[in-house]
Amino acid sequence: MDSSVRAILSDLEVRTPRGRLIYALITIALLLLAVVVVVPFIYAFTSGLKTSREVFSTTFQLFPAAANWDNYGQAWDYFNLPRLFVNTTFLVIGGLLVQLSVSMLAAYSLSKLKPIGGRFLLIGFLTTLMIPGIAYIIPLYVTAARLGLLGSYWGLWLSYGVNAFMIFILKNFFDGLPPEIFDSARVDGASALQIFAHIVLPLSRPILIVLSILTFVNLWKDFLWPYLVLLGNPELQPISVALFVVEQRSATPPNIQMAGYFMAMLPPLIIAIVMQRYMQRGLSLGAVKG
Amino acid sequence: MNLPLRKERAVAVNRSPIKWREQFVAYLFLLPALAAFTVFAWWPILNSIVMSFQQVDLMDAGASTWVGFRNYERMFADPTFAASWRNSFEFAGLSILIGFFVPVLVAVLVNEMRAAKSFFRIVYFLPSVIPPLIGILVWQLIYSPQPGGLLNQVVIGLGGTRAGWLQDVSLVKPSILVIMTWGGFGATMLIYLAALQDLPIELYEAAEIDGAHPWDRIRFITLPYLRPTMLVLLIVQVLGIVQIFMEPLVLTEGGPGQSTMTPVFTLYRKGFLNGDYGLAAAWSVLLMIVLGALSLVYLRTTRTAQQ
Repeated sequence: MDSSVRAILSDLEVRTPRGRLIYALITIALLLLAVVVVVPFIYAFTSGLKTSREVFSTTFQLFPAAANWDNYGQAWDYFNLPRLFVNTTFLVIGGLLVQLSVSMLAAYSLSKLKPIGGRFLLIGFLTTLMIPGIAYIIPLYVTAARLGLLGSYWGLWLSYGVNAFMIFILKNFFDGLPPEIFDSARVDGASALQIFAHIVLPLSRPILIVLSILTFVNLWKDFLWPYLVLLGNPELQPISVALFVVEQRSATPPNIQMAGYFMAMLPPLIIAIVMQRYMQRGLSLGAVKG
Repeated sequence: MNLPLRKERAVAVNRSPIKWREQFVAYLFLLPALAAFTVFAWWPILNSIVMSFQQVDLMDAGASTWVGFRNYERMFADPTFAASWRNSFEFAGLSILIGFFVPVLVAVLVNEMRAAKSFFRIVYFLPSVIPPLIGILVWQLIYSPQPGGLLNQVVIGLGGTRAGWLQDVSLVKPSILVIMTWGGFGATMLIYLAALQDLPIELYEAAEIDGAHPWDRIRFITLPYLRPTMLVLLIVQVLGIVQIFMEPLVLTEGGPGQSTMTPVFTLYRKGFLNGDYGLAAAWSVLLMIVLGALSLVYLRTTRTAQQ
């Protein structure tokens, strides 16, 4: 994005003394807001460095007298963070693969293979977007229980195959690919699967990257469904579920809690900062939907 | 037009008989999605209606018994019912005051910046990427009534008195909405920013030539331009508010009193804590109707917004 482009105020106006003042005030206001936004992160980080006496001090003191890095080591073991990170990664990558492959295949079929009743099916997929999953979490849970899917990652992985939004985005993307490529491949005798593997997949790389990052972050954030499915199997719980369960069960000292929470927030924060361009493009896909 | 017509007809004749092999392949590609949607979306949605007329046995569908409208009678008779939905309304109203205008204002200001735009975009967006549950756990300690609670420290430092941010009936809803706004406004702001990028600069330039003051430009150009987007995002916000769940679960357990009981949180308690799945299904059905209706309004507004 071009940062130098004018908006409400023209470049000329910004250079007048009044304009300079207004511009400075806007900058200060936005910087203050930025500070407010990051305070919870900083507070978590510095509280994690405090002694158990300091975290209960009545006076405001953002930074401790001395940094107790030890707390971070303790929290690492106390919450068993390595296992939680492994669990979450495993769960999220599996869910991502299922969601991407199911959606890709369906979108490709709807876009290029002309199934009878395809329009009807697409509408059927899209109606699920109108009812947020949380509204039918009870019958979903009952279904998973009766199918014996509780307590394992399969209950989550398979259910992550449902993403009408992704089917919709991918179908639109495939619709926009030049039909000549497909026609000539078909004339050359390529099967639907060959066309999918050798033409569609390579061409979709850019959009797949964007969708993967978006889905990765979204699945990493998921809480209620993993909580319900893995309630009986603490070994497998991902990070938000496990932190909640520990918080409910035991009185953990606040400095250890905060050290743990800060470390738990780091991976998504790093991904968001490193991949910010993809993330924001992914969000604009959402805006297209809107 | 004449020449292609012949071609089209030739194609049409070619395609008219159904090629069953091709159809078979097309449906083979659709099969995983059809299976996933049937088991994990379509069937549960329908089954919630079935279950709402039953006393449900979790493991054995055959052992469930029909109870007619009794689940609905119990739902309406429950005092938590009125409280939950009233809270949803109050949350929605308050959220329009507290959270709705923040991203609009911030987007307009960020768009004014000649430098560091992407810095602000990424910083404001950071709370949106962490798991909401972990954010809520951190806020729990910020709001803590104990000596270490950050917010009370600041308030006392400024000469105020200690408050129970999550314990006081008049403070708890705004406190929860502050967390939600913190967690969400950055992503919403990006949508407004995208809309502002599409606003033709010529409009401002023309207004300037006509001598329009910056305030007039905001009033007569920027805000009218953003209005359709604002309407759409207002509905998105209400949709989100009706689904408030994690904050009561982690922070308040629906209290103090019943002031943070919400439909989803009540449904969760009826179903998963009491094992009363039939009653919870009745709550689900009502929730689906409300959310589905809101989604329809949303579709309507997006369609008009695009025109």
